[in-house]
Amino acid sequence: MPREIALFDALVPTLLFAFLFGAAMSWIIDVVFTRYGLYRDIWYRALFRLAVFICIFACCGLLVY
Amino acid sequence: MITSVHFKNFCVACKNTIFPASPTLVYIFKVLLASFMALGISLKFELEQPRTAMMTVAIVMHSRSGMVFTKSIYRLLGTLVGVAASFLLVAMFAQERVLFLLCMAIWIGICTAGSMIFRHHQSYGFVLAGYTICIVGLPATINPELTFNIGVTRVSEIMIGLLCAGLVSDLIFPQRIWTVVSASISKRFSDFSDLVIAMEPGRTRVASGSHRVKASPIIRFVTDIFELESLSASSSLENDDSRTYRLKLNHLNSAFMEVSTTFHSLQQLLRRHEDYSNPIVSECIGELYQHLKAALLFEGHVAQSSSQASVVAIQIRQYRESLPSLLKDSRAQLLRKLNAHAQADSDRLDFETGVELLQRFVDELYAYAMTYASLADANGQSGMAKNEPPHFKLDFDVLTAAFAGLRGILTLVILTAMWIFLDWRSGVEAITLGVITSTLFASSRSPSKTVRQFLIGALIGTFFLYLCNFYLLPNAKDFLMLMLVLAPAIAFAAWVTTRQAYATIGAGVFIIFLMHSGFNAALSAEPVIFINDAIADIMAITLAGVMYELIDLTNGRWSQQRLSKNLHKLIVFSCEGPLKLARVEMERRLRSLGYRFSGAWQGGTRGDGEMVDHLLSSIEIGHAVIALRELLAEIGSRSSLKAGDEIVKGVAQFYASPSHRRHDLVVASIAEGLADLDTDISKKELAQGIRLQFLTTLHLLRSVLLDEASVFSSFRPMNDLERTK
Repeated sequence: MPREIALFDALVPTLLFAFLFGAAMSWIIDVVFTRYGLYRDIWYRALFRLAVFICIFACCGLLVY
Repeated sequence: MITSVHFKNFCVACKNTIFPASPTLVYIFKVLLASFMALGISLKFELEQPRTAMMTVAIVMHSRSGMVFTKSIYRLLGTLVGVAASFLLVAMFAQERVLFLLCMAIWIGICTAGSMIFRHHQSYGFVLAGYTICIVGLPATINPELTFNIGVTRVSEIMIGLLCAGLVSDLIFPQRIWTVVSASISKRFSDFSDLVIAMEPGRTRVASGSHRVKASPIIRFVTDIFELESLSASSSLENDDSRTYRLKLNHLNSAFMEVSTTFHSLQQLLRRHEDYSNPIVSECIGELYQHLKAALLFEGHVAQSSSQASVVAIQIRQYRESLPSLLKDSRAQLLRKLNAHAQADSDRLDFETGVELLQRFVDELYAYAMTYASLADANGQSGMAKNEPPHFKLDFDVLTAAFAGLRGILTLVILTAMWIFLDWRSGVEAITLGVITSTLFASSRSPSKTVRQFLIGALIGTFFLYLCNFYLLPNAKDFLMLMLVLAPAIAFAAWVTTRQAYATIGAGVFIIFLMHSGFNAALSAEPVIFINDAIADIMAITLAGVMYELIDLTNGRWSQQRLSKNLHKLIVFSCEGPLKLARVEMERRLRSLGYRFSGAWQGGTRGDGEMVDHLLSSIEIGHAVIALRELLAEIGSRSSLKAGDEIVKGVAQFYASPSHRRHDLVVASIAEGLADLDTDISKKELAQGIRLQFLTTLHLLRSVLLDEASVFSSFRPMNDLERTK
């Protein structure tokens, strides 16, 4: 995968898109968890959310590099 | 070995000891941590101005996580829009500085006006879009080829700041908005119960100690509704309980809106009864009211929690069910007592009007208590209306927004003129700060006071800055030392922002300190430049303050006139607008008017009292007119009440352009309507209930129009007073 993508002639790091994708995915997961009350079993919700986001972001980042 | 159990115990211990004892300490710690994270990351990425990231942290940090998220989003949006606008302007007018500044002024004017139209965080987004153009666009006029880099760097720095602030406030001792909201709604319920219990029908004047019924609790409730609304809007980004409760909260707010309005009408009506009608009427209504007071108590005191409120709700329902029989007794009693007097007819009408209002009040109180009680069970749907509650949209006054925009433009124009003609070295700083000051506080309740506080903060910040830039920073050798150098000022400013009354001072310290602190890519510690910049800052803030004083939109005669014009328009709307939406729409507009003007009501002068009276009497008239229109629509074409439409039209005309003559016309047509209802034809045609409703509505409308305390007392000839007596 290219490390930079030309967006209107400005080079944008692919990681930025990975970041946005990760944010979108973790938001969807978050909505699903809230909807079905799955957060009941999780001790520290904020930490869990962050961890999910980092997992997704890191996986995408590994795909890029 | 540290196991998860130990860790859990440790966390619980922290929560139990440190946390409740000093949330302020936790907050200061969070601000420090987030700013140093932002500083570290920016330095790591070798960004131009790490202080922008720190400033972002300082600005968005709030003790509640939801507020941080919401503010972050609007800060990001505002910055993006502002940066895009700067690119456009630089691309178009880089060589023409007059045109460039002209367009900039227009852009800032538009953004300031926008910040007046919207509120809270949205308003802040507009302010940012406005002043970002100074930060990005002005340096770009000097070297246009760097514009893109400056813009991208600024966005990156802000992103870093936002991420750090968001992470820290969500992960470390997060404080949910929901706790604040739930405390505030339970306090509101008990306060309102207190207010209802404190009212003594027949002695409203004695209780309030003045001629007028005290309006201040009602005003407090009105502003409360809006604050709660904005809090709950911010909580939408929080994840825990808040989101589940949002819908219920909206219901609660609209239920409370109704019940507080009706309570006020009831209060006013009872006061008028005392002034004008037979004391027996007040006595009878007072007896009915006493039972209601008993129903509101839970074991001798007002309900403090939603579970207690559910008991109260059941008591209110029982009262409501027993009301018809109570009413029968009361009516019989009234007739017995009235037989001794003449003029029984008008007194009976007074009584029926009061009872009608009391019944409405009890219904709405029950709905309110039920909604509140249903908060206790998280998933229960009991007591909730199925229909979508009204949303609290915003209305705005075009003229106010335009003047605010003009103020921003003028500040910019004066400062740029000074910059260009005096060849002022610190001009860019001064322009930026001046624009920030003159736009940021435009939507505050009393801007000149806020700017004064901001100025004090700026002075304190300059003092810190001097110490920091010339004594401490030159000795800071590594990151740890840098943190130590910056920590005292940041901690101080964070501490000040937690004190509600002085929050703006804290903001001033933050902004000035972080704007000029000397750790950029290259250290700058030149005393001359420093003093020039400090003078420029003070001048810019002072100028903005002077502009706020000159174009003062929150105080005095002008805002009173705007208010009364708006109220008149509103009543005309309630007469002529679409009937289906009229009630909800009118409530919404009234509340937002009340909120907007409530900033000016803290002085407690005579004019303030008039304004409050005017607002509340408009609520009554609007309600009465809408009730009348609903009744008219119900009976439809077989209307024997010819005067009905006349009355509605008359009220609309009177409020469109008030005059003695029109007032007399309205009152006359209401009298005609009342006479119409007394004829045999209408008695035959209309059902007993509807006829009674007509009578009481018309009576209420007339009594409000004739009311002595109403602002239109000047339109009322003296003999009316005699007639009502």
